[in-house]
Amino acid sequence: MASEKCTKKVSSVMDVNDRLLAGTPAVAGTTVGKACIYRRQQPIVSNEHLTEEQVESQLAYFHQAVATARQELQSLSRSQSNGDVRDLLYAQIEMIEDPELHEKVEEEIKSNNTPVDAAIHKVFDIYLGLLSERENADSPERSVDIIDTRNRLIQILHNDENEQITKETIIIAHDLSPREVIKFSEQQVRGLVMEQGGESSHAVILARALQIPMVVRVEQACSRIPAGKVMAIDGASGKVIVDPSAEIQDKYRVNDLSTVQSQSTAVQYETADGHPFILRANIGFADELPAMLASGGEGIGLLRTESAYLNNGHLGSEQEQRSLYEVLLKETSPDIVTIRLFDAGGDKFFDLGQQEQNPNLGWRGIRMLLDEEKLIRQQLRAILIVAGRYPGRIRILVPMVSCLEEVTAVKKHIADIRQELKEKEYAVDADIELGIMVEVPAVALQADAFAREVDFLSIGTNDLTQYLLAVDRGNERLSNLYSQRHPALWSLIQQVSQSGDATDTPVSVCGELASDPVAACALLGLGISELSMTPTALGPVREELQGHNLQEMQQLADRLLESTTTAEANELFANF
Amino acid sequence: MIRKKVTIVNDAGLHARPAAALVKLASSFKSDFYIHMYGYQVNGKSILGVMTLAAEQGAELELEVSGEDEKEAFKAITELINDGFGEVYQEGE
Repeated sequence: MASEKCTKKVSSVMDVNDRLLAGTPAVAGTTVGKACIYRRQQPIVSNEHLTEEQVESQLAYFHQAVATARQELQSLSRSQSNGDVRDLLYAQIEMIEDPELHEKVEEEIKSNNTPVDAAIHKVFDIYLGLLSERENADSPERSVDIIDTRNRLIQILHNDENEQITKETIIIAHDLSPREVIKFSEQQVRGLVMEQGGESSHAVILARALQIPMVVRVEQACSRIPAGKVMAIDGASGKVIVDPSAEIQDKYRVNDLSTVQSQSTAVQYETADGHPFILRANIGFADELPAMLASGGEGIGLLRTESAYLNNGHLGSEQEQRSLYEVLLKETSPDIVTIRLFDAGGDKFFDLGQQEQNPNLGWRGIRMLLDEEKLIRQQLRAILIVAGRYPGRIRILVPMVSCLEEVTAVKKHIADIRQELKEKEYAVDADIELGIMVEVPAVALQADAFAREVDFLSIGTNDLTQYLLAVDRGNERLSNLYSQRHPALWSLIQQVSQSGDATDTPVSVCGELASDPVAACALLGLGISELSMTPTALGPVREELQGHNLQEMQQLADRLLESTTTAEANELFANF
Repeated sequence: MIRKKVTIVNDAGLHARPAAALVKLASSFKSDFYIHMYGYQVNGKSILGVMTLAAEQGAELELEVSGEDEKEAFKAITELINDGFGEVYQEGE
């Protein structure tokens, strides 16, 4: 006690102006730690003149540096679940791959015999020069991003160590790039203080996503805060206190995000009483991605691979397929992408065979694929090659399965192709997950047996309803009979969910039913916590799920299971 | 060739993220795409070029699209800009 009083007295004698710095609040949260001053190194570039023989190798170095920087950003992006963060990293990848930049740097190396590092510096200076004439000097966001791209390329060429900072400190910097903030978060920094920046600067968006308390616009912070000194910050009020008293330290530690926050920065959505659920998107085209990302979809629960090709009359080449998958994986990193094998036939008429009398009960999905061996092998090859590059992120989903033999046949194809790829020295994802669509009632009734053979089950309620009720869902005359709320469907779904539990096999729902907010509650009540739906439904469904307790959802599910008519089920929906 | 003026509507202006979205979209078309602003011209398929415009909210850009798919390209690009690049983030929580 006595010593504390003593320190208090001493510290109150110190110059208050040096101890209390005011800034602008940026990211709420308080923290205490030692100050670490981060000064970005200005890269020093070579000024020699290349001989003609050196030109080729310098061009090669440039492309290597671009490739390294791209991989680095992609892997950073993969470990981020926040859409804003990924967008910013994606923008940096675009900068590194800018065709005009490449052209100019190559030209500079070839025509002026400039070494690659100096060429990069010079070309970036052109952009920065133009920018400095136009950009608001108070928030040089664009310059910060561009300078960071330049510096990183030169660092890679110089084989420089990454940014040297001390772990678990509070970083004081003039400004920070998005990449630097992510790097620092990996070093478990406790807080960030910047001399520049505003509420919408990229560094702030990142810090907010990564939940690092931050204060910006602290004048001359780098020179006024001594390195290594203990300090405290309050991101909500914008207070920065150097050499805080023990009392203040205790107070600021209480709300310290780093002590309460789990390692994972992934956003997890929960019901009102804290039961987590996962919402993914059903998509058919890459251009549906922005909508999905904007509404916070956690990956793709159903990629309808046939959609992109239905208009062309042929399913794309292996190369076309690969590039579609590649784009989707890049953009949804680090989430799961569930690729459903071509589900052609049935209502998705496809001119591979002849007209059938009863196409919905005919040659479609896996039935067609197993007959058209070239087609399935080509698609599996495309999937497995991409999966090798994004291990753990792709799941394969087989449509229209009605018997176990079909699963065995698909597995055999996968094993063959995997072997073939290994021999050709492709990277292979040995644990790629295989699942089936549960859309034929027989499969739902035999779910136990199927679950033991596959890694996951995905219930497609649209077809399951049509087959269960023997109602053609495209026939308008029968539209009053086609309802995904039919009592029999609930009990069938319950059965599949129980089979999943018994065999420890994840079960999800990817049909229309999942995009109805109330039905989504009922599905969670039945024990299915992963739903996949059209991107526009993600927001409303999430809101509904967040607004209820699991118990209420279970009660709803129980009542639906007890209902005997669709009318009763509708009533329960209306009253929920 | 199509030449037409558009106005940047999103709060944050044409910074890195919208620029990336714009360039990505433009690059998916065959047509050449240039942006004119204050008598200065940049290649709309170069993100660095686009960022140097430092176009803020309210800035008027003149788009120039020429090539076989110029109509589709122009339509898609203007939609993206008029939609504010689908920027969803707002200040605060």
